[in-house]
Amino acid sequence: MTPQPGFQWIQILYALATLFVVLNYGLLMTALVQKIAARVSGRHGIPIWQNYVDLVKNFALRSQISHGVMYYMGPIFRLSGGIGLLLFVPTIYGLPWAQNFSFAGDLILALYFVFFGTLGMALGAGESGHPHSAIGVSRGLSQTTAAELPLALAVYAIAVQYHTLNIPQIVAAQQGGIAHWTLITNPLATIAAMFAYVGTMMRAPFDVVLAPQEIPIGPPTEYHSAYMALMQTNRAIFPVAKTVVYMNLFFGGASNWLEFALKVFALYLIPAIIGVVHPRFRVEQSIRFFLKWGLPVGVLAILVV
Amino acid sequence: MVSALWILALGLGGAFGLGLVPRGRGDLAFALMLGALGAMLLVALGWLAVMAGGAAPVLITTAAAPAPFAISLHIGLPEAVLVTTVLIAGALGALALRGALLRLGRGAMAVLLVLMMALSGLILTRDIFNLFVFFELISIATAGLVLLSPDPRALAAGFKYLVIGQIVSILLLIGIVFTYHANGALGLDHIAATAPGVAGAGLAMFLLLIALVVELKPFPANGWALDIYESAHPGFSALFSAGSGTAAVFALAKVAAVAGPAWAPLLTGLGLLSFLGAGLLALRQTNDRRLLGYSSVGQLGLVLAVIGQGDVLGEATAFIAGGILLAHAAAKAGLFWLSALVPGRGLGDWAALRRRPILVLAFASFIAMLIGLPPFPGFYAKWELAQALVAHGRMPVLGSVLFGSLLEAAFLFRWFGRAMKAESAEVPSANPIDTAIVLAALAAGWGLGALWGALSGLSNVLTTIPVLFALAFVALEPLPARIKNVIAILGLVGWFVLRLPDYDPLRLIFAIVMLPGGAVILLASFTEGGRRLGFYPPAMLMYAGMALLLDAVTTFQFFAAWELLTLGSYFLILRGQRSEPHAQSYILFSLGGAFALLAGFALAGQGALDLRLDALSDIPVTIAPWVFVLLALGFMTKTAAMGLHIWLPGAHAEAETDVSPMVSGVLLKAGLYGIVILLSELGRQRLMGVDLVNMLAWIGALSAFIGAVLAVFQEDAKRLLAYSSISQMGYALFGLALFSHLGWLLALMFVINHYLYKSMLFLAVGGVYRRTHTKLMYQMGGLITLMPFSFFSVLIGIVAMSGVPPLSGFGGRWIFYNAILGTDLRLPLVMIFLAGPVGFLYLFRLIHTIFLGQLKDPHRQIKEAPFWMLVPQMIYVALLIGFAVLPGMILRRVDTYLGTVFGDHPLIWTGRAVSSEFGHWNPVGIMLVIIGIFVSVGAILLAKVHGAQKVKQFNIVFSAERPYRPETTHFAWNFFAPYRRAVGFLEAPVATRFWGGIGDALTAGAELTRRLYTGNGQLYATQVVLFVLVAWAIIFGGQS
Repeated sequence: MTPQPGFQWIQILYALATLFVVLNYGLLMTALVQKIAARVSGRHGIPIWQNYVDLVKNFALRSQISHGVMYYMGPIFRLSGGIGLLLFVPTIYGLPWAQNFSFAGDLILALYFVFFGTLGMALGAGESGHPHSAIGVSRGLSQTTAAELPLALAVYAIAVQYHTLNIPQIVAAQQGGIAHWTLITNPLATIAAMFAYVGTMMRAPFDVVLAPQEIPIGPPTEYHSAYMALMQTNRAIFPVAKTVVYMNLFFGGASNWLEFALKVFALYLIPAIIGVVHPRFRVEQSIRFFLKWGLPVGVLAILVV
Repeated sequence: MVSALWILALGLGGAFGLGLVPRGRGDLAFALMLGALGAMLLVALGWLAVMAGGAAPVLITTAAAPAPFAISLHIGLPEAVLVTTVLIAGALGALALRGALLRLGRGAMAVLLVLMMALSGLILTRDIFNLFVFFELISIATAGLVLLSPDPRALAAGFKYLVIGQIVSILLLIGIVFTYHANGALGLDHIAATAPGVAGAGLAMFLLLIALVVELKPFPANGWALDIYESAHPGFSALFSAGSGTAAVFALAKVAAVAGPAWAPLLTGLGLLSFLGAGLLALRQTNDRRLLGYSSVGQLGLVLAVIGQGDVLGEATAFIAGGILLAHAAAKAGLFWLSALVPGRGLGDWAALRRRPILVLAFASFIAMLIGLPPFPGFYAKWELAQALVAHGRMPVLGSVLFGSLLEAAFLFRWFGRAMKAESAEVPSANPIDTAIVLAALAAGWGLGALWGALSGLSNVLTTIPVLFALAFVALEPLPARIKNVIAILGLVGWFVLRLPDYDPLRLIFAIVMLPGGAVILLASFTEGGRRLGFYPPAMLMYAGMALLLDAVTTFQFFAAWELLTLGSYFLILRGQRSEPHAQSYILFSLGGAFALLAGFALAGQGALDLRLDALSDIPVTIAPWVFVLLALGFMTKTAAMGLHIWLPGAHAEAETDVSPMVSGVLLKAGLYGIVILLSELGRQRLMGVDLVNMLAWIGALSAFIGAVLAVFQEDAKRLLAYSSISQMGYALFGLALFSHLGWLLALMFVINHYLYKSMLFLAVGGVYRRTHTKLMYQMGGLITLMPFSFFSVLIGIVAMSGVPPLSGFGGRWIFYNAILGTDLRLPLVMIFLAGPVGFLYLFRLIHTIFLGQLKDPHRQIKEAPFWMLVPQMIYVALLIGFAVLPGMILRRVDTYLGTVFGDHPLIWTGRAVSSEFGHWNPVGIMLVIIGIFVSVGAILLAKVHGAQKVKQFNIVFSAERPYRPETTHFAWNFFAPYRRAVGFLEAPVATRFWGGIGDALTAGAELTRRLYTGNGQLYATQVVLFVLVAWAIIFGGQS
């Protein structure tokens, strides 16, 4: 049993601080990775501050257009999902002010809250009536069901291994050097989880989901100006928040911000590296891929643990 | 007391007396005949009163000499009951035949009187030669009365009947001669008392018995009789079935008692053959009266089998055989009389009855009587039969009886379903006398039900308050639907309040869902105006069944409640517009499941007529696994576990708007309740090395996964929800099968959650259907602005169901993870894990394709769903949010209770938060954090974008063109095409093909066997002779 610390108002300030750090880190880090990817393709790539430029520009743009209530709320859901995921999980192990709102729930909360933003965004985009939004959602959801499966199995495996669903406890169990990381102590679960990680980071070969958005005018179909600004903010926060979960579960967590920055960057590079050298899968190919390769590893992970 | 001989004398005297009535005074003759029948009946009733009072049987001698020098009659309780039955059938039959009788004059009336006299004699006599005489009289009278029919085929049928009747008579006569030779006596009592003196006595008895069996028109030697059923006047067919059949069975029973147990296998075998064969053949029948003929053949076969099992049934034989026989008499006579009111002869022609609801009630009651459903006598009879058969290891006999009953249910409900759904412009005859006769049979059936309930020594279904409350709605039918709805809601809530103190927390969860939960769904029924005939009696019968299920303390009470809720829900489901085939498969699967329960309970009882449910835990270890298997099969049929699920999608999807949530949100929980009882009483069982509880977990996981995958591929919104129910019940089954504190808590949370969101979603989709008149999602789209409340409830429903925080579904997931971490059962988990995200797919599809995307032109003017349909939905929304924030309200009590059951306390409740061995869950914290973040982000957007205008529908740009047609722009059909390409093979309808194959094989068998009945009299005669020869060969193995 773990007695949980209650809520104190100061935590809100702490959470905002974490959010500020992660946002800036995310904006810079994703730009850097994009730049690296561009260099691999022989392009120059974007300036490192490009994300700031885009964000400020989009936020400054005025809009008088809406497709309806859900459309309006879509980006709110999206960004809330990203921030929520970040804040339900402790960011830095042992740093009291970076424990966020983890008193509200454990690992299971984080796992399921991932869907919050996805659902809201999908609903919002759906209300625009744009068929490409629906096609994107259909592809995305189809692929996710298969891609998330190895993660679910891996989570089960490590929950059994560490006998807890409490993230700080899982991180605590991995302290004391790389040999204690889940990566080493439970490689099967880690590999299974990495299938899910690579599969859900929206990079090749698993990024055909984005294709319907690329055909028309910009990333998420029909969204523009401040709507898009919110979503771009999320694009900086959400991948980091997600990576934090993986880092905590499988790679020993981070006990300071530097370790955090390095580990998240390193993890984030994995799908990026795979992405730059692979063409796209069609959705059904991705699904079969995860069922054929990811699932058996996950099943092995829960059987041997 | 007047001598019973007067019954015969009055009949004969009346027949002679008719000759004195002047020609042309048909009315006078008719009055005389009725008078004679009435007088016979009075005498019989007098004897019935005396015998029912416990008087000793009386032997009546004639010619002032004792047997064997004169004929003796015997009247005891069975004789009194049967003579009364036959004479009531005769008197009412005479009224039914009045037109034909008046047309043909006093001769025909005399023949009828002779028939009644002969039937009474057949029942009363104790002399085998007299049996022969009375059979001859019956044979001739029958042939004569068949001619009353205006149908030209009747003449041929009567002739064939005479020819074959003669063959039977010859067999009987030879048997009598041989018997006399062997025993030196003709009186049954003397034959029984004297040991057979010569060789060949066996053959004598065989001939006697086989002749009497053939009199019952057994399958397959019965073509001649079926032609009579089909072509004779229905008034006579009623007599032929209810009167002649009853009397002949009793004659056989008398001889069988004398013949001894050595002949029991023959009788049982022939009886079962007849029961099964007739049931099979009836599957393909299209003519109502011929169908009834098959049913009569089958029922008499069943009674024959019961008589054959007399050695193990003992004292109960009379109760069982009598229950089946009398219910059959009332039902069959009633149905034949009813057929006289129906203008056409096709099964669909009975649709005319719908214009007179009381006749529909009669029709439904008669069918329930024939199948042996509660509260009719056959139900109690079957229960006792099953107990006795199982106690003596006669499982194959029980299996055959139950399978035959299922066949019977198949053809009778097929008929009923067709009658309820077919179009008919015809109007049934409104003749008051004919109607009154039918209603008399109806009253008799219900009266017998009450009587058998009282005699059974078990709990009488008809004296329970919920059932009486449900039946009261039959009387309330003339009232407006809204008033009935108020009464129904008050009844459900009132009963809940009344019983509340007695429910333990576990039952309480189910009770909340079934009773007040049912009442909330009934709020939606306020949308229905008019009188809504035929809705409330079955609905309340279903709820009565559920109320009684929760109160049941014995296996019988449980089973009776189970059958009631099954029957009620069948009639409810059948009300849907296109629900006929689905209601049919529902009732067949449900009855199949119920019979598995019956067999399971019987096996557990080991001869005890009734068993306390909590005594199930004490049954011997050798039989416990088998009981487990049978009960689990029964319950899983109700929860639609994979493989047994094929009835559910159609039944739930095609039911009426407010019925779908009842049968999905509420009724499915009955199956879960059964599994709770099963597991808590029987615990872990192993059969042939297989852990059965683990088996349940596998089945649950498979159902959860496949149900979800199938839901993804549905285009029909209600079918999608129906498949999702299969999946959700799979989860709950899995939870229960984890057989741990948290597993059960998970399952119970599912009970509540599934009730809330599935009822809500079905109502929301039903509301949309009401406005758009389609259930196909791709035909909808963009309804969010027109139906915002419906959208909101679907939104809350899918968030809750998918387990996304902060709504209550997440709590379920949290408990789920905590539950599975403690189990060794890992492989099925894979399927459960797969099912979760797949659920997300179909839920998104549901909300997107209906409410988002492009609005279609025909829907531009539609309004929000009716007010009363929204009321329950909004209640559910409030409850879902409330349950999400404060799950402790109910769960905590259940958790404490489960602690006493499992002896552990895995959850610790601190304030509003819960923690477990593995993690923690703070519902209020989650809710507040999410609201905080959401509001802050929303405020930022609002600060920037406010006053944005909603643009027009086609103000979107893609692929360099502007769309203008919603149909081509709304992406909805085959929404998850990539998913189908990847895992579409899972869609293969394996179970449907399997069950369809069984159904096809049965109907093909029926079609093939039907060819035996060519209508050729010579062939029929040959069949009878062959039948006798084959039976002889089997019994004697070629040696005499």
